[in-house]
Formats: sequence, structure tokens, C-alpha cells
Amino acid sequence: MSKLSSRTALFSPSRTLILAGSTFTQLMRMKVFYFLLIFVLIAIGVNFIELPHTVGPESTGSDKLFSLKDPMIGAMRYFAIIIAIVATALVIPKDQEDRTLYTILAKPVPRLDYLLGKLLGILALIFAGLLVMAILFNVVLHFHTETLLENRLGMAEQMGWSAEAIESERQDILRQGPSWSLQRGILTIFLMSAIIASVALLISTFSSSTLFTIICSTLVFFVGQFMADGRDYYVAKAAATGDGSNLTTYASKFLSLTFPDFRPFNIVDAAVAGKMYPPGVFFGLLGITAMYMGIYTVLSWFVFSDKEI
Amino acid sequence: MSDVNAVEVRDLVKEFKTSFRRGPLRAVDKVSFTIAPGEVYGLIGPNGSGKSTTMKALLGLVQPTSGTCSIFGHDSTKVDSRQDVGFLPENPYFYKHLSGEETIRFYGKLCGLRGAALKTRTNELLELVDLTNAKDRRLGGYSKGMLQRIGLAQALVQDPRLVILDEPTAGVDPIGSRQIRDLIFNLKSRGITVFLCSHLLEQVEEVCDHVGIIHKGRLIKSGRLEDLISIEEQTEIVLSNADPALLDDIKKLIDSRDGAELVRTGKPRTTLEHLFLRETRDADSSNDE
Ligand SMILES: Nc1ncnc2c1ncn2[C@@H]1O[C@H](COP(=O)(O)OP(=O)(O)OP(=O)(O)O)[C@@H](O)[C@H]1O
Ligand SMILES: [Mg+2]
Repeated sequence: MSKLSSRTALFSPSRTLILAGSTFTQLMRMKVFYFLLIFVLIAIGVNFIELPHTVGPESTGSDKLFSLKDPMIGAMRYFAIIIAIVATALVIPKDQEDRTLYTILAKPVPRLDYLLGKLLGILALIFAGLLVMAILFNVVLHFHTETLLENRLGMAEQMGWSAEAIESERQDILRQGPSWSLQRGILTIFLMSAIIASVALLISTFSSSTLFTIICSTLVFFVGQFMADGRDYYVAKAAATGDGSNLTTYASKFLSLTFPDFRPFNIVDAAVAGKMYPPGVFFGLLGITAMYMGIYTVLSWFVFSDKEI
Repeated sequence: MSDVNAVEVRDLVKEFKTSFRRGPLRAVDKVSFTIAPGEVYGLIGPNGSGKSTTMKALLGLVQPTSGTCSIFGHDSTKVDSRQDVGFLPENPYFYKHLSGEETIRFYGKLCGLRGAALKTRTNELLELVDLTNAKDRRLGGYSKGMLQRIGLAQALVQDPRLVILDEPTAGVDPIGSRQIRDLIFNLKSRGITVFLCSHLLEQVEEVCDHVGIIHKGRLIKSGRLEDLISIEEQTEIVLSNADPALLDDIKKLIDSRDGAELVRTGKPRTTLEHLFLRETRDADSSNDE
């Protein structure tokens, strides 16, 4: 009578996508998302209205654009990190509270599919939010770059600059405008938030409270930002004094797994500063992200598969 | 294929961790029972006796401390065992932002249903649980009885051979619970195995052919309902329009026989449930339509 196969695949992409879709809509209903999105959009929008008419001789054109980009990218970064932590911390307890976790897992749904679906839904949400902000950001930046070019080059011509000087000023300003390096920078913010989300997911599989998950994930994020330097220092010192014993190396290896090293991701700052961010470096970071996410997801799966719900 | 039991629970023990000083809490204590395909099995017992825990262990939602559970021969700790089972948890609650129809579609998709098959099945189920008119409303606005019915529809979405219902009629008015009872009869007539627990004993008596009584985690009685509740040495005669003279004759006849004894005579009474149903139905039909 039953037309269902008697075997359930351990992992099914279509089932994961269904769960991701439901997580996405579930999260879209959370006020925190809109609150943050609107907040960031206002922050970007304010810059749009405030035109840089005050192009004084003391600040160069590119400085002007930098001081415009820096806070906007900062806002986007905070948006991504906060959503990654908060949304992930909320999502499983919410299902547990609603008892949808019972009804979902009582269906032939492997727990891995469930976890991946949740993670994917959260990432889709962050991606959608970042996309909206990135579009607005680029429009604003483009507009300002054009205005600035007009003002600056007009002024330079009036002041009788040489053709080379004008050209170099033009290049200077363009480098601070919308560029592929900058887009890769925004994508890098997404990668970072993906790592943080999988850390938060792992913590939420064994934590009993949302607050605990949020605090621990935030801690991991900050430690990942700064601790790596300290770790390098100790390893270097240990090597220098000759007692580079197994213990220190293992400890440092353990630390680097527990706390993902976010330093390479700081290349976003360079991209904001108008420096080149080569695609090769981006793909390297993509690989690091995949590795971290893989490790944390497998760990989450181990914890979650024995979890009492 | 009917030689494999729909449900098989063997020496199931489930302990929950409690605070450090007190020992673990034994919610289910060496429970064993089987349910044959097509049976309707009712588990009854006081609050906190371990009914829901047994059901959750059977569905793989909690890990047994010891013992095994299986569904149609598949170990409950494996995902495969969930292919052929539908579950309605106690006090079900679903995504508030979804409509009734979307909810059923969501669970259908999780079971691998797609396209036209999913659509037909969804409409069928909405019809079955009498929610076709409310299918576009958000679950946030559903009443408790409606939630219970959408939960039932969700449990049936992949046409499972076994349905597990944890207090399907809790918080539902007598008419709604009557509908749910009829639904269970309907499942039974289609050969679907039902495992339910409830505090409404009359209902359990009505629908179940096997019952188990669980107390403080131990299954203290289990078997065919008939065998458990019939009083073997008594016989009941119900007469209509009998005059006092006839009754006198019967009494005399009984007195003349050795061994037989008249225990009591009187008027059979309807249950309060039946009375409530009859009265509300009458009021309904005189008000609307
Ligand atoms: N997750 C849990 N953690 C700790 N103890 C639990 C947990 N779930 C259930 N228990 C305990 O196990 C015992 C059995 O609970 P269970 O929910 O199975 O009872 P029940 O028979 O379904 O009761 P009710 O009729 O009230 O629904 C109770 O004492 C309960 O406190
Ligand atoms: Mg219960």
C-alpha cells in the first residue's frame, strides 16, 4: 500500500532545502531582522542625503570616500555577525518550544538534514540582508564617486593642474569607488558570518539557553579576532626558548579549532581602504570557511543526534 | 507481511537525569508490549506515568536507557522506522505563520511528496479533518480543537500504516472529540494501526480493542479490552416496554432456579457525554441551516 521506499537517505538535498525554506520564512518573521536591516539601511541612507559639498583642500577626495565606506561596511559587518549569532541561537529552541521539532523529527527526517536546513536558512537570510544593503551601498558610493570626480577634476582644471596630475587624482578617486575588490570584501563578511553561524549552531546543540549560546558565540567571535595574535606569540616564544614541546603545539592546535582564526578575514579592511583584494585570496578564504563549517557541522551533528528533545 | 508486529517494545527503560543529589528519575520501567497490525491500542495511566515518554522512545525522539523499540521491524533509533508512522504530539503547536494548507504541504514535502500527489493529498486531508473552510487561515488564529485536527492531518500525510496519537482529544469539546473518535474508527476500518493514549476512559473503551494500563512507569496490565473489563459470571438483559407483571414473572423464574441470582434491575442510563452531544446537536439544527 505504501509507495514510500523503505530506506531513507542519510542526507537529502531537497529535504534540506525545504527545511531551509521554512527556516528562512520563520526568521523573516523575527523582528530583530527587520530592526537591524532598517537600522543599517537608515545608516546608509543618511550618507546618501549628506552630500560631500565641503570638499576642502585639507582632505583629499579619496579620504572623503573612505570615511564614507568605512562606517557603512562596519554596519554591514555588525548586521551579519549579530544576525548569525542571534538567529542561530533562537532557531532550535524556538522549534523545541513550538514542538515542531517533534513533528519534524517524527517524519523520516535525518537529524543532519534538519541541522543543515536550519543553517542554510540562516545563511540565506544573512545573504538576502547583505544583498539588499550591498545594492544600496554601491548605489550610494557610485553617486558620491561621480559627484566627487566632477567637483575635484573641475577644481583641478581651474587651478591649472597638469594632465598627469589630474589623471592621477582621477585614478585615486576611482580606486575608492565601487570595485570588484569591494564586492569581494562584502562577500567575505558573508563568509565570516557563515563561520560564526555554524559555531553558534554547535553551541546551541548542547546549550540549554538562548542567552548562553549568544554569549558563548560572541565570545568565540572576539577571541577569534584577537586571541590568535596571543597564541602566535606564545608559540613563537616557546620555540625561541627551546621548549616547543608537544603540549604547546597541541594546545595551540586545539585553540585554533575551538576559536576560528578570523585574522585573514580582516582583508575586508584593506578592500575598504581601496587596496586590491585579489580573487585568489578570496577563494582561499572560501576554502577556510568551508573547512570550519564542515568541522563545526559534523560536531553539531554528533551532539544533536543523541540529543533528548 | 502481517507477521511482523506494528509496534514492538521490549524491556524499555528510560531514566531522566535530575539534580545531582537525587538519583535518576525512572520515567519508564521495563515496559514490554506489542501491537499487531490493524489493532487500536490504548495506553492509559495517571499524569506522569510515562505514556508520552514511551511514545517518544518509540519514535526515536528520546534514547532508551535500555531496551528496544521497533516499528514494523525497524529499530526506532534509525530514521527508516519513521517512514511508516505518523505522530500527533500532546498539545501540538505548529508554525504560527503558516496556514493550515501550508502546514500540511510542509510535512508532506518532508515525507517526499511533490506536485499533484501532494496537492491531492493535502485537499483530501483537509476534507477529512473538516478544515477545508479554514485552510487559508494562519494557525496563529486556530482554536485548540482545530490545531489538534491539523495535527492529525499532518500525522496522516504520508499515508502511514501506524498512527501514534498522544492525547488526541485533550482540550477538544465533545463534538470535536467525537469527530476525532470517528476518524480513528475510519483509520481502523482501513487497516491502519493506531496507538493512542488518553485520559478519557469512555473514549478509550469505545475505540480501542487492546489497552495497557501504565502506572509509575510500569505496565501493570495489558491485553484485549473485552477480556480485561468483562465480568465473566454475569449476563445482562435489557428489555423495552416491560410491564411490572413481566418483571415479577422473570424474578420468580430466576428464584425457582438454583445458583442463579438477580443482581439488580433498573433503568439504563445514558452517559453525560451522550446527553451533551444530543442536546447540542438538537440546538444546532434548530438554530442554523
Ligand atoms: N525531558 C524530561 N526531563 C526530565 N524528566 C522528564 C522529561 N520528560 C518526562 N519526564 C518525567 O518523566 C515522567 C513521565 O512523563 P510523561 O510525560 O511520559 O508522562 P505522561 O504519562 O505522558 O503524563 P501526562 O498524562 O501528564 O501527559 C514524569 O515524571 C516527567 O516528569
Ligand atoms: Mg503525556
